[in-house]
Amino acid sequence: MSYKVTEDGNIATVHLDGEIDMDVTEKAKEVIFPHIEAGKEVHLNLSNVQYMDSSGISVLIESHQKALEKNTKVIIKDVSKSVLKVIMMAKLEQILNLE
Amino acid sequence: MSEAAHQNHTEKKAFLVNSSSLKEVRTFCRDVFEKLHIQQDLKDELVLAIAEAAQNIVKHAFKNSADANELMVVQISCENDKLQIAFYDRGTPVDPKKVKHREIDNVKPGGLGTFFIQEIMDAVEFKDGKKPWINHLVLTKQL
Repeated sequence: MSYKVTEDGNIATVHLDGEIDMDVTEKAKEVIFPHIEAGKEVHLNLSNVQYMDSSGISVLIESHQKALEKNTKVIIKDVSKSVLKVIMMAKLEQILNLE
Repeated sequence: MSEAAHQNHTEKKAFLVNSSSLKEVRTFCRDVFEKLHIQQDLKDELVLAIAEAAQNIVKHAFKNSADANELMVVQISCENDKLQIAFYDRGTPVDPKKVKHREIDNVKPGGLGTFFIQEIMDAVEFKDGKKPWINHLVLTKQL
Protein backbone atom coordinates (compact mmCIF):
# COMPACT_ATOMS: atom_id res chain seq x y z
CA MET A 1 0.00 0.00 0.00
CA SER A 2 1.25 3.46 -0.81
CA TYR A 3 -0.34 6.77 0.06
CA LYS A 4 -0.34 10.50 -0.60
CA VAL A 5 -1.57 13.21 1.75
CA THR A 6 -2.49 16.76 0.82
CA GLU A 7 -3.57 19.33 3.37
CA ASP A 8 -5.70 22.33 2.57
CA GLY A 9 -6.83 24.37 5.56
CA ASN A 10 -8.71 22.08 7.91
CA ILE A 11 -9.08 19.31 5.34
CA ALA A 12 -6.55 16.50 5.00
CA THR A 13 -7.01 14.38 1.89
CA VAL A 14 -5.51 10.92 2.15
CA HIS A 15 -5.15 8.94 -1.08
CA LEU A 16 -4.56 5.25 -0.44
CA ASP A 17 -3.26 3.06 -3.24
CA GLY A 18 -3.13 -0.73 -3.43
CA GLU A 19 -4.76 -3.53 -1.46
CA ILE A 20 -5.79 -2.96 2.16
CA ASP A 21 -5.47 -6.08 4.25
CA MET A 22 -4.27 -7.11 7.71
CA ASP A 23 -0.66 -6.65 6.63
CA VAL A 24 -1.03 -2.91 6.03
CA THR A 25 -3.71 -1.80 8.49
CA GLU A 26 -1.21 -0.45 11.02
CA LYS A 27 0.40 1.62 8.29
CA ALA A 28 -3.02 2.90 7.17
CA LYS A 29 -3.87 3.90 10.74
CA GLU A 30 -0.52 5.68 11.11
CA VAL A 31 -1.35 7.72 8.01
CA ILE A 32 -4.99 8.53 8.83
CA PHE A 33 -5.30 8.81 12.62
CA PRO A 34 -2.94 11.76 13.30
CA HIS A 35 -5.09 13.99 11.09
CA ILE A 36 -8.22 12.98 12.97
CA GLU A 37 -6.47 13.46 16.30
CA ALA A 38 -5.56 16.95 15.12
CA GLY A 39 -9.27 17.64 14.58
CA LYS A 40 -9.02 17.80 10.80
CA GLU A 41 -11.75 16.72 8.42
CA VAL A 42 -10.30 13.75 6.59
CA HIS A 43 -11.17 12.96 2.99
CA LEU A 44 -10.19 9.39 2.34
CA ASN A 45 -9.83 8.82 -1.38
CA LEU A 46 -10.11 5.12 -2.23
CA SER A 47 -10.25 5.35 -6.02
CA ASN A 48 -7.00 3.35 -6.29
CA VAL A 49 -7.93 0.71 -3.72
CA GLN A 50 -9.26 -2.34 -5.56
CA TYR A 51 -9.31 -4.75 -2.62
CA MET A 52 -10.20 -4.31 1.02
CA ASP A 53 -10.85 -7.04 3.58
CA SER A 54 -12.37 -6.98 7.07
CA SER A 55 -9.18 -5.47 8.50
CA GLY A 56 -9.47 -2.54 6.10
CA ILE A 57 -13.15 -2.15 6.96
CA SER A 58 -12.14 -2.01 10.63
CA VAL A 59 -9.81 0.90 9.83
CA LEU A 60 -12.74 2.73 8.20
CA ILE A 61 -14.97 2.10 11.24
CA GLU A 62 -12.27 3.11 13.71
CA SER A 63 -11.52 6.27 11.72
CA HIS A 64 -15.21 7.17 11.60
CA GLN A 65 -15.64 6.62 15.33
CA LYS A 66 -12.47 8.53 16.23
CA ALA A 67 -13.66 11.45 14.10
CA LEU A 68 -17.00 11.53 15.92
CA GLU A 69 -15.13 11.69 19.24
CA LYS A 70 -13.13 14.65 17.91
CA ASN A 71 -16.23 16.40 16.53
CA THR A 72 -14.98 16.10 12.99
CA LYS A 73 -15.65 13.65 10.16
CA VAL A 74 -14.08 11.23 7.73
CA ILE A 75 -15.53 11.34 4.23
CA ILE A 76 -14.81 8.34 2.03
CA LYS A 77 -14.49 9.46 -1.58
CA ASP A 78 -14.40 7.76 -4.98
CA VAL A 79 -14.72 4.28 -3.60
CA SER A 80 -14.20 1.56 -6.21
CA LYS A 81 -17.01 -0.83 -7.07
CA SER A 82 -15.24 -3.80 -5.50
CA VAL A 83 -14.60 -2.00 -2.19
CA LEU A 84 -18.14 -0.57 -2.14
CA LYS A 85 -19.41 -4.14 -2.36
CA VAL A 86 -17.48 -5.06 0.78
CA ILE A 87 -18.72 -1.94 2.60
CA MET A 88 -22.28 -2.89 1.64
CA MET A 89 -21.78 -6.49 2.69
CA ALA A 90 -20.81 -5.13 6.13
CA LYS A 91 -23.98 -2.98 6.02
CA LEU A 92 -21.97 0.18 6.59
CA GLU A 93 -23.08 2.28 3.61
CA GLN A 94 -25.53 4.21 5.81
CA ILE A 95 -23.07 4.62 8.67
CA LEU A 96 -19.87 5.72 6.97
CA ASN A 97 -19.83 9.03 5.06
CA LEU A 98 -19.57 7.94 1.42
CA GLU A 99 -19.29 10.44 -1.42
CA MET B 1 -27.27 -35.07 -16.79
CA SER B 2 -26.23 -31.53 -17.77
CA GLU B 3 -22.61 -30.78 -18.51
CA ALA B 4 -20.64 -28.87 -15.87
CA ALA B 5 -20.01 -25.24 -16.77
CA HIS B 6 -16.60 -25.26 -15.10
CA GLN B 7 -13.90 -27.83 -15.72
CA ASN B 8 -12.86 -30.15 -12.90
CA HIS B 9 -9.65 -28.87 -11.40
CA THR B 10 -7.62 -29.09 -8.18
CA GLU B 11 -4.68 -27.02 -7.03
CA LYS B 12 -3.03 -26.54 -3.69
CA LYS B 13 -0.26 -24.35 -2.36
CA ALA B 14 1.56 -23.89 0.95
CA PHE B 15 2.11 -20.47 2.49
CA LEU B 16 4.05 -19.25 5.49
CA VAL B 17 1.65 -18.37 8.29
CA ASN B 18 2.07 -14.61 8.48
CA SER B 19 0.18 -11.54 7.35
CA SER B 20 2.51 -10.85 4.46
CA SER B 21 1.43 -14.17 2.90
CA LEU B 22 -2.16 -12.98 2.50
CA LYS B 23 -1.36 -11.19 -0.76
CA GLU B 24 0.18 -14.42 -2.10
CA VAL B 25 -2.94 -16.35 -1.05
CA ARG B 26 -5.09 -13.90 -3.03
CA THR B 27 -2.82 -14.13 -6.06
CA PHE B 28 -2.98 -17.94 -5.95
CA CYS B 29 -6.79 -17.87 -5.74
CA ARG B 30 -7.15 -15.36 -8.56
CA ASP B 31 -4.93 -17.50 -10.80
CA VAL B 32 -6.96 -20.65 -10.09
CA PHE B 33 -10.31 -18.88 -10.58
CA GLU B 34 -8.99 -17.45 -13.83
CA LYS B 35 -8.36 -21.02 -15.05
CA LEU B 36 -11.86 -21.98 -13.95
CA HIS B 37 -13.35 -19.02 -15.88
CA ILE B 38 -15.24 -17.78 -12.85
CA GLN B 39 -16.83 -14.39 -13.51
CA GLN B 40 -15.25 -11.31 -11.95
CA ASP B 41 -17.86 -10.44 -9.27
CA LEU B 42 -17.98 -13.98 -7.91
CA LYS B 43 -14.20 -14.23 -8.14
CA ASP B 44 -13.83 -11.10 -5.98
CA GLU B 45 -16.19 -12.54 -3.38
CA LEU B 46 -14.47 -15.92 -3.29
CA VAL B 47 -11.04 -14.32 -2.99
CA LEU B 48 -12.32 -12.26 -0.05
CA ALA B 49 -13.77 -15.33 1.70
CA ILE B 50 -10.56 -17.31 1.25
CA ALA B 51 -8.35 -14.43 2.35
CA GLU B 52 -10.52 -13.94 5.46
CA ALA B 53 -10.17 -17.63 6.36
CA ALA B 54 -6.40 -17.43 5.87
CA GLN B 55 -6.33 -14.28 7.97
CA ASN B 56 -8.17 -16.09 10.75
CA ILE B 57 -5.46 -18.76 10.74
CA VAL B 58 -2.75 -16.08 11.05
CA LYS B 59 -4.65 -14.09 13.68
CA HIS B 60 -6.17 -16.80 15.83
CA ALA B 61 -4.69 -20.25 15.25
CA PHE B 62 -1.13 -18.94 15.47
CA LYS B 63 -1.50 -15.94 17.75
CA ASN B 64 0.83 -17.47 20.37
CA SER B 65 3.26 -19.01 17.93
CA ALA B 66 6.75 -17.66 17.40
CA ASP B 67 7.65 -20.19 14.70
CA ALA B 68 8.24 -18.20 11.54
CA ASN B 69 8.40 -21.36 9.42
CA GLU B 70 4.92 -22.70 10.08
CA LEU B 71 2.91 -23.42 6.96
CA MET B 72 -0.74 -23.37 6.02
CA VAL B 73 -2.02 -25.11 2.91
CA VAL B 74 -4.87 -23.86 0.75
CA GLN B 75 -6.45 -26.34 -1.67
CA ILE B 76 -9.01 -25.28 -4.26
CA SER B 77 -11.02 -28.02 -5.98
CA CYS B 78 -13.80 -27.76 -8.48
CA GLU B 79 -15.80 -30.85 -9.32
CA ASN B 80 -19.11 -30.87 -11.15
CA ASP B 81 -19.43 -27.12 -10.53
CA LYS B 82 -19.02 -27.53 -6.79
CA LEU B 83 -16.16 -25.46 -5.47
CA GLN B 84 -14.42 -26.70 -2.36
CA ILE B 85 -11.68 -24.76 -0.60
CA ALA B 86 -9.76 -26.58 2.11
CA PHE B 87 -7.37 -25.04 4.63
CA TYR B 88 -4.88 -27.03 6.66
CA ASP B 89 -2.80 -25.71 9.52
CA ARG B 90 -1.01 -26.85 12.66
CA GLY B 91 -2.06 -24.03 14.95
CA THR B 92 -4.13 -24.03 18.13
CA PRO B 93 -7.10 -26.39 17.66
CA VAL B 94 -10.18 -24.43 16.65
CA ASP B 95 -13.34 -24.90 18.69
CA PRO B 96 -16.10 -24.44 16.06
CA LYS B 97 -18.57 -23.42 18.75
CA LYS B 98 -16.42 -20.39 19.54
CA VAL B 99 -16.18 -19.24 15.93
CA LYS B 100 -18.79 -16.53 15.49
CA HIS B 101 -18.98 -13.06 14.06
CA ARG B 102 -20.08 -9.96 15.92
CA GLU B 103 -23.66 -8.72 15.71
CA ILE B 104 -23.71 -6.87 12.42
CA ASP B 105 -25.71 -3.93 13.85
CA ASN B 106 -23.24 -3.47 16.68
CA VAL B 107 -20.83 -1.37 14.65
CA LYS B 108 -17.27 -1.65 15.92
CA PRO B 109 -13.92 -2.62 14.47
CA GLY B 110 -13.28 -6.36 14.12
CA GLY B 111 -15.40 -9.48 13.98
CA LEU B 112 -16.40 -9.20 10.32
CA GLY B 113 -14.16 -11.78 8.68
CA THR B 114 -16.26 -14.76 9.71
CA PHE B 115 -19.41 -12.85 8.71
CA PHE B 116 -18.03 -12.29 5.20
CA ILE B 117 -17.09 -15.96 4.87
CA GLN B 118 -20.59 -17.07 5.89
CA GLU B 119 -22.25 -14.52 3.61
CA ILE B 120 -20.25 -15.61 0.57
CA MET B 121 -19.97 -19.37 0.96
CA ASP B 122 -22.75 -21.99 1.03
CA ALA B 123 -21.15 -24.00 3.83
CA VAL B 124 -18.36 -23.66 6.37
CA GLU B 125 -17.21 -26.85 8.05
CA PHE B 126 -14.46 -27.58 10.56
CA LYS B 127 -13.20 -31.15 10.18
CA ASP B 128 -10.69 -33.13 12.20
CA GLY B 129 -7.24 -32.47 10.84
CA LYS B 130 -5.44 -35.62 9.78
CA LYS B 131 -1.77 -35.80 10.77
CA PRO B 132 0.36 -33.74 10.39
CA TRP B 133 -2.41 -31.16 10.38
CA ILE B 134 -4.43 -29.99 13.38
CA ASN B 135 -7.09 -27.82 11.80
CA HIS B 136 -8.94 -28.57 8.58
CA LEU B 137 -11.48 -26.00 7.43
CA VAL B 138 -13.62 -26.61 4.36
CA LEU B 139 -15.60 -23.92 2.55
CA THR B 140 -17.97 -24.91 -0.24
CA LYS B 141 -19.91 -23.07 -2.90
CA GLN B 142 -22.05 -24.34 -5.74
CA LEU B 143 -21.05 -22.47 -8.89
